[in-house]
Amino acid sequence: MKNTTSLVVIALIVFIGGYVVYSNLGSNNSGSDINSEEVQKITLGMKNYNYYPNTIRVKAGIPVELTLDSSVRGCYRAFTIRQLGISQISSSPSDKIIFTLTEKGTYSFACSMGMGYGTIIVE
Amino acid sequence: MSFKQFIKELNGDKVEGELIKTILYSLLTSFILLGILYYFKFREIQNFIPKYGLFIFLSALSYAIIIPAMRQIRAYKQMPCMSGMMIGMTTGMIAGFLAGYIVGATNGMFVGGVFGMIIGILIGIWTGSCCGVMGFMEGMMAGFMGGWMGAMTSVMLLNDHLNAASIIIVVVLSAIMISLNYMIYKETKERKRESEEDFMLDIIITAILISITTWLMIYGPRSALFQ
Repeated sequence: MKNTTSLVVIALIVFIGGYVVYSNLGSNNSGSDINSEEVQKITLGMKNYNYYPNTIRVKAGIPVELTLDSSVRGCYRAFTIRQLGISQISSSPSDKIIFTLTEKGTYSFACSMGMGYGTIIVE
Repeated sequence: MSFKQFIKELNGDKVEGELIKTILYSLLTSFILLGILYYFKFREIQNFIPKYGLFIFLSALSYAIIIPAMRQIRAYKQMPCMSGMMIGMTTGMIAGFLAGYIVGATNGMFVGGVFGMIIGILIGIWTGSCCGVMGFMEGMMAGFMGGWMGAMTSVMLLNDHLNAASIIIVVVLSAIMISLNYMIYKETKERKRESEEDFMLDIIITAILISITTWLMIYGPRSALFQ
């Protein structure tokens, strides 16, 4: 096979593969819904390179709907409570993070890389 | 201009004349294997293409740009120490970075970092050892660093144009690999080829790399962020 033919075939493979992938990007239909009527709504922003507020209080057993506002950027949008195995990415403020803390106590939360952190007190 | 000669040599009888074919065979191997796996197994996975498609596609492209340099180095076997350091560093770093980046984007920093590091070190050592212990060492260090850097970069980009960044990274690293091919050509253009081989080894290496990468991305362990 000549190199020119090889190049044409490579370009075709890359183009077709790229088209298939590109046309399917963003069609992921995963999502989550809240069934409970009562939720605790919390909004976190960003101040001095950390979450603001970085101490939050919630009630045990009631679902928490956490919003990361538009000031929260980068890895800070991957909200993690390591002790409880909660770790979720919020791509935009409309992408809510929903979880329920059942046991009272004080837990640390952070971004996925540990750059931003804070405390969540469950009462 | 030796770059023009290099371009001419891509159609010549030396190993540089086989580089484009190596890319083609590597891509064909990856896509045939992935096509078979998709038909029999992956199509049952929900949201397979939106979730993994881009990264599997980029991993096939990544291996297709690394394999030709490995073939070029095998053809000449021995090179000076300084060239060996550059070869070991470039191949180790790029192989480690791309493997770590791609797996890091789907499985998290730990799995991506470890996988990238292993692939980077193995490829860095294999290519760098053409040129003595300095190339070997450089390949090992660059593989280690590239693997962890790649995984860290993709995790940090998760919420910031990860897909666009992935494409830019693959394009830039392809340009670096072409520069490496040119550097090896410049270093060896007065010499005769020392090893003749068919494309079977390149096909086997591609098949192994793409199989492990895909398996790890789909069935491998994940960090809490990706569960």
